[in-house]
Amino acid sequence: MKILIAEDETLIRLDLRAILERHGFTVCAEARDGVEAVELARSTQPDAALLDVRMPNLDGIEAARRIYAERPLPIVMLTAFRDRATVGKAVAAGVFGYLLKPFREGDVAPALYAATARHAELLAARRRLGTEQPKRIDLDLPSPSGHAWPVRIERAEDGSLDVRVVQR
Amino acid sequence: MRVLIAEDETLIRLDLKGMLESAGLQVCAEARDGVEAVELADSESPDLAVLDVKMPRLDGIEAARRILDERPMPIVIVSAFTERSLVRRAAEAGVYGYLAKPFREEDLLPAIATARARFDQLSAVREQADTLADALAARKAIERAKGLLMEHQGLSEQDAFVRLRRASQTSGRPMRVIAEAIIETLS
Repeated sequence: MKILIAEDETLIRLDLRAILERHGFTVCAEARDGVEAVELARSTQPDAALLDVRMPNLDGIEAARRIYAERPLPIVMLTAFRDRATVGKAVAAGVFGYLLKPFREGDVAPALYAATARHAELLAARRRLGTEQPKRIDLDLPSPSGHAWPVRIERAEDGSLDVRVVQR
Repeated sequence: MRVLIAEDETLIRLDLKGMLESAGLQVCAEARDGVEAVELADSESPDLAVLDVKMPRLDGIEAARRILDERPMPIVIVSAFTERSLVRRAAEAGVYGYLAKPFREEDLLPAIATARARFDQLSAVREQADTLADALAARKAIERAKGLLMEHQGLSEQDAFVRLRRASQTSGRPMRVIAEAIIETLS
């Protein structure tokens, strides 16, 4: 499993890489700030990401949001911030795990495994929703006079719905 | 949020309970082994469960699997053991978090928050997909029944539809049920 790590402090980044490699993960990219994290997520296509929150240029939560918007993948935050507001922001950004610094080696691999498994489930459910959602539905609605009104519902590219009565 | 906790060591259980309650969560059930955890998950319908792994009678991972077979819910595992085989089993069973013991409050609360949020997200997507699948199946059945009525009774498409709708109104049954009955009889 290929992991992207983003951490501005070199010592912690090296430590994290060693821990991940010891647990059988491949560290495919090391970012030193949020902007690099977004770029490396794009260029190296990791299976999961481990992001610090406070980093130069772009913080880890905003980086998580941008990475996820480009290509959904399981993200675990690793941070010294334990206040509810920061946790809440990370949760809202869609992260699957949140570990506190100083982190403990025993928590890192389990968080990634659980995050990856649950994220795969979410993607499968979304795929099902996507494949079962047709672009166009034709149906008959009963009119007050007892006749059927043929109605067409079409979904535009932006997801909005257009409903109108059609002639068949 | 109502939480089920399962932990065989009384002191750790009390500690866990105190931690959760001071964070504003309600501990609705305390299990001392995996079997009790499965029973209490069924009878108390918690919103989330925190389970130890090594417990008498039934371990926490197998308990998680059985709980999730009955009803999906977010589960966080806390365990002194973090070998890869155990973690893999837990991930496959469907848990959202896995923390090493001795667990820390500062890790447990965010783990619960992310578990709950991601679980709600998955549930919403699944529910949407199910609703859509139902609606599509209903539409298919109605189209098919309409076609059969047109073919067997020489009705126009509109008359066939009116017939279906009347049958639905007079019987008080959904159009899909009427359509399926017609398909059963005529095909």
